[in-house]
Amino acid sequence: MGSGSVAYRVTRDLKIRVHVSELACCALEVGSAVTRGLLEVEDTSHESSRVEVMLISGTVTQLLAPLVVAQWDRIPEPKIAFAIGACASSGGPYWDAPTVMNGIQTLIPVSGFIAGCPPSPESIIESICQLVPTS
Amino acid sequence: MSIRRSIGLLEEDCTACLICVRECPSKCMEIDRHTEQISEGRRPKTVHILDAFAIDFALCMFCGLCIDVCPTDALQWSDQGGLAAHQREGLVSNSADLVLRASE
Repeated sequence: MGSGSVAYRVTRDLKIRVHVSELACCALEVGSAVTRGLLEVEDTSHESSRVEVMLISGTVTQLLAPLVVAQWDRIPEPKIAFAIGACASSGGPYWDAPTVMNGIQTLIPVSGFIAGCPPSPESIIESICQLVPTS
Repeated sequence: MSIRRSIGLLEEDCTACLICVRECPSKCMEIDRHTEQISEGRRPKTVHILDAFAIDFALCMFCGLCIDVCPTDALQWSDQGGLAAHQREGLVSNSADLVLRASE
């Protein structure tokens, strides 16, 4: 659910903390990346991360939109948001549905878009490494 | 069998028939074309010439219907993945990008 913020650690090199907004099937691929060891799960409460990364994975409906924004507001600065998959980027297959937002960038600033419906766990990790600012 | 990570285009095989564009459930494909008269042969005929091909991967659901219906097999799966961009517009692949994907 969008209200549950789960913190994962990607690689130590990236020094990022990941918050997943689990809205639809893309979230399963993010989960798969965790169980397959591509995304590192670690308690980082005592460690400082360089940047907080929010992954919006799934279809953003009008009903869920306020929850996604609330989750974004709760994440401390510095933070960036990535749209995972077609739905979060543009509405995807539901682009014509009246209750589906045509991309999360209309609600919060998004600094990365990852294509796929859904993207594979490998694609997600590859893209995160490509999109996270180096400094 | 390639991994379904993105879609490539063999430009010279595309007849700009628009079947893929019509079948696409996400409406993520766009083709620009013009017609030309060919006078060789027994009778003159009109053919479509492809000007530009674009797939918006921010909308694409990777269902592969376009690949299935393509009568000349100009569209094919590509295992070149990791499609990501800082801007939403950056996920739109033009003809050159798609041709590059087919060759790899």
